[in-house]
Amino acid sequence: MSAIDFLLIILQMLLVVGLSPLIVGVIRRVKAHQQCRYGASVFQPYSDLAKLFRKEPVISTTASWIFPATPYILFSSTLAASLLVPTIIAPMPLNFAGNIIALVYLLALGTFFLMLAGLDAGSAFGGMGSSREAIVASLTEPALILSLFALALTAGSANISAIVYKTAILQGIVLDPPPHLMALVALFIISLAETGRVPVDNPATHLELTMIHEAMILEYSGRYLALVEWAAGMKLMIFLTLLANIFAPWGIATTLSPSALGLGLVVFVGKVVGLAVVVGVFECMFAKLRLFRVTELLGAAFILSLLALVFFYILRV
Amino acid sequence: MPNLPINIGSYLVNLCSALLLLTCFAIVAQRRLMACVDLFALQSVFLAVTATLVAYLTGIHHIYLAAVLTIAIKAMILPRILKKIVRQLNVQREVSMYVNIPTGLLICGALVILAFFITEPIVHLGFLLTQDSLAIALAIVLIGFFIMVSRLKAVTQVIGFLVIENGLFLAATAAAYGMPLIVELGIFFDVLVAGLIVGIYTHQIQEAFGSVDTSRMKALKE
Amino acid sequence: MTILLFLALLLAYACGMVLPLCFPGRPHIQNVIAHGSAAVAGGLGIVLGLVGLFASEPLVWFLPSSIPLLTFSLRLDSLSAFFVLTISLVGLAVSVFASGYVREFYGRIPVSLLGFLYNGFILSMLLVVTADNAFFFLIVWELMSLLSYFLVVSEHEKPDVRFAGLFYLIMTHVGTAFILMTFLMFYQETGSFAFESFRNADQSLPEGLRTLVFWTALIGFGTKAGIVPLHVWLPYAHPAAPSHVSALMSGVMIKTAIYGLLRMYFDFLGGPFPWWWGFVVLLVGTVSAVLGVMYALMEHDLKSLLAFHSVENIGIILMGIGTGMVFYAYDLPHLAALGIIAGLYHTLNHAVFKALLFMGAGSLLYATHTRNMEEYGGLLRRMPWTGLFFLIGAISISALPPTNGFVSEWLVFQGLFLSLELPSLFLKLMLPIAGALLALTGALALACFVKAFGISFLALPRSSHARKALEVPVPMRVGMGFLAGLCLVLGLGPAVVVPLLDRVSEPFVGISIAGRVFEMGGWTLAPVSGEFSSLSTPVLAIVLAGLTGLGWGLAYVLGGKGKTRFYKTWGCGLNVTARMEYTATGFVQPIKRVFSTIYQPTVKLETEFLEESHYFAKRRHFEFSIEPIFLKYLYHPILEFFSTLADRSRVIQGGNLSLYLAYIFGTLVFLLMVMG
Repeated sequence: MSAIDFLLIILQMLLVVGLSPLIVGVIRRVKAHQQCRYGASVFQPYSDLAKLFRKEPVISTTASWIFPATPYILFSSTLAASLLVPTIIAPMPLNFAGNIIALVYLLALGTFFLMLAGLDAGSAFGGMGSSREAIVASLTEPALILSLFALALTAGSANISAIVYKTAILQGIVLDPPPHLMALVALFIISLAETGRVPVDNPATHLELTMIHEAMILEYSGRYLALVEWAAGMKLMIFLTLLANIFAPWGIATTLSPSALGLGLVVFVGKVVGLAVVVGVFECMFAKLRLFRVTELLGAAFILSLLALVFFYILRV
Repeated sequence: MPNLPINIGSYLVNLCSALLLLTCFAIVAQRRLMACVDLFALQSVFLAVTATLVAYLTGIHHIYLAAVLTIAIKAMILPRILKKIVRQLNVQREVSMYVNIPTGLLICGALVILAFFITEPIVHLGFLLTQDSLAIALAIVLIGFFIMVSRLKAVTQVIGFLVIENGLFLAATAAAYGMPLIVELGIFFDVLVAGLIVGIYTHQIQEAFGSVDTSRMKALKE
Repeated sequence: MTILLFLALLLAYACGMVLPLCFPGRPHIQNVIAHGSAAVAGGLGIVLGLVGLFASEPLVWFLPSSIPLLTFSLRLDSLSAFFVLTISLVGLAVSVFASGYVREFYGRIPVSLLGFLYNGFILSMLLVVTADNAFFFLIVWELMSLLSYFLVVSEHEKPDVRFAGLFYLIMTHVGTAFILMTFLMFYQETGSFAFESFRNADQSLPEGLRTLVFWTALIGFGTKAGIVPLHVWLPYAHPAAPSHVSALMSGVMIKTAIYGLLRMYFDFLGGPFPWWWGFVVLLVGTVSAVLGVMYALMEHDLKSLLAFHSVENIGIILMGIGTGMVFYAYDLPHLAALGIIAGLYHTLNHAVFKALLFMGAGSLLYATHTRNMEEYGGLLRRMPWTGLFFLIGAISISALPPTNGFVSEWLVFQGLFLSLELPSLFLKLMLPIAGALLALTGALALACFVKAFGISFLALPRSSHARKALEVPVPMRVGMGFLAGLCLVLGLGPAVVVPLLDRVSEPFVGISIAGRVFEMGGWTLAPVSGEFSSLSTPVLAIVLAGLTGLGWGLAYVLGGKGKTRFYKTWGCGLNVTARMEYTATGFVQPIKRVFSTIYQPTVKLETEFLEESHYFAKRRHFEFSIEPIFLKYLYHPILEFFSTLADRSRVIQGGNLSLYLAYIFGTLVFLLMVMG
């Protein structure tokens, strides 16, 4: 691995770690605007994180070592997953380390520990959150794999970088609209479910009847909470990046020239912020679904992925 | 041949047919009757766009007329009639169904695959322009049937019937580049009349049984 | 040289069987000798397996016997060697574990007898995978079944254990009957029971017979493997056995069936077979995987839960092998090799982590004397080592990176994704759907092990058993630690494992792919090409470790060292007690509800109200059960049919001696007439 590869990895890490709170801030701002509130600055999440890091954490006397270890594992597994997703340049240098399956299972590693941590403190809220997360995760994963596979087919590769690289050169979605379109809708629904947004979960609530993700992390405080929140932001960013770069790969750098990289950076930030605005608007348009209605939404995502697959093959025969 | 490149045109037709199919799935997944009606209207708009595209690409002009009629009758008049019925009957939601929604969606997915396998041998005989559309049309017809079978309320059953009609129209445009004008006009007239008759019929059911739940009609057996 | 090794192996097991009997009334010495020899034999078996894998020619030993058709011939080719290696690896760890675990039985069960059966059981498994004569194979297969039956009923004073044993015995004999049928069909064609002649007969078998052999072998071996719907005995028998025996049964005994299937399909029936064979195997695998994990989720007996997970994992193994068979049928040998390697890799991995988890369950049983998860809780603090090892096993079986379960499941996924190379549209659509179902299986397995680990080891103890639990003795920890380490090693080292497995698949598919699946000097696993997809678990592990450090550093830089306060969990103003915690039943309730079509749950809630008011309940009784669909709709009708048949035929039982003699006489006359 050359020095440039290392630099690119560092750059990618800085980008994901640095930009993810902004995305959360943008969504909150958009929602506030939609609800006719003034809302906090888009940079508020940075201040929140900084404050949380300085606060004294409280750990339950009931909890084992799993509880304090989980935020670090969650942070690292999410960040590792983000290194597999191309942001401003494709292919990524760490492309060889894992494909779409590795991405899904790296994210699952974080979820696994988070679910354990929810059970660890012994409170009923945490257990409830873990239990609900278990069913949502079980239903999203098949749809996610199937939709990613439908996309992998159109590019003839299961490596994310290769998918983005090829669609960037071949003009992606324009070339093959029906399968791409269906996979796009499916992946959008899955992204909302995986990152705990409305209509599957509400990130802005602490009402026990509705919360999933917030219930699991209810016992966290101080720097542990900061890491968990940051990881949640990064996970959101991973999914927005996937949506942006797989379906609209235009502008992404395919060579190492500084101008291409600069353009890639600008375009990437624009795309992700734009998607964040879409998510914010979307959250204001829909009410949160009852837990057992989420099945229908995710069932629809699964069917859409399946249709994407069918359309791909039928078009090619 | 018009100046639009043939493959882009073909993509657009495919895209529109795919959107038609997606609205079918949306209807299957939708509980609220008003939204079902709206989705049907949307589907008809997509159908009209497909027809317009086919007309433009092939230069057969009477398909334009069919597109205009589709917009007028299926996207505007029929939805209004149906909405009026829904409002009068005061049934907003379909609470119980024979098949729950996720299972229904899976069955419809299987129906689409079935439709593709059935049409696979004859697809090559059709025109290049609308390769997918025949399979999609068949799938829409099958899903329309499924909607009629799995739902209890008369209004959704009517929507199922209209979805079947949309599927058949797509098949006609896709495989045969439209039917003779007189046949099309006849069909549109039929659909309109059917819509009116069904409106009256639903009222009769409502008055006779106090509900539009067609499963109550089992009582007629005795 | 190898024959000496083999004889030493035999000797070690023989010592383990016989020597303890010479020390009556000294259970500790019996224990040390029995399990010590088994451990030594396990070590020798590992060497033998490796030698067999690297040998250029299959090693053959031959001992004629005076019984016609039977020869005691053994053959160690790469497939046998792989299974010898797997059995011995697990055998070694389990023997070390057992030397601690068996202390539990001192004074209750004769340890010498247990040791005799235990050593004999492992030896019979080794002979099953090396036998080279159908007659001999059936003898050792039967021996394996019987010895494991005796081990299952070790605690025969409990009625449910006796029932489990009987159920197992019947089911395994149904399986044996089908295997016998398979071999008889071969015998009819070749006139010999030697596997060598079966191997040469593959092309001469008529097409119809080949199809019949396919089905009988699938049913016969499938019963032992526990594929759905033949899995019903597994969740009874595996929990009933002592835990170290469960570890062997679930970890390796059911794998002998995988050996049998591979031997049958690729070695004996090799050559072109129709694609639907592979599709059937894939379908059976997918159904087993999904249903296995779904039923596992509803189990709250930790050992039954693990037994259902064996059904799931056998399913995943068969998905790999089935994909390989499909590719083989379409003459894509390098992809066929990939499928088989995925299946074999998962076989090895499942043996390792399932044995580990069963030993963990055994440790919990040892410490708390209950198998009910609802009575565990908070054990990670009291049993830190057991907890850590169980956690590693749970991560592996949930297929999370960078452990071994992830690597093999990843390989199975690649096989399914490569369906785009197939010419058939049907398979092109079906294989990705199987992939989605595999993802569902993985996600449900993850949920199941969050439940298993979280409810057992985290939060507050839920019973006095759990409150008083102590860490288990050192030998038990060593046994688990060895396999936990192996989980990580096998996860990080596909570069070492895949070439070994390639030696197994090479004779079957005809080409070696070891040189083609690696890039970057062995650091990256890339089936087909790096362009298509690649995986590097070592790099992922390094990245994960580095980033954990980064997270820690970030917290340090941004937050300073800072103090941490410890305080009790907030319980809405009450002190949190174990009764407020989420239970295992509660944890899976949403899953039960979403998949109610499969579970058909029945819930009973009886409430006794106070006399004064109907708003306050005095006590509530909650009960829920799920419908055992297969028992109810498949097995009970069959049982009923046979018992009616038996009732009908009772009329011939006259109770008169002359009548019975008349029957014999009649039969004799009839036979003479037919033969004449």
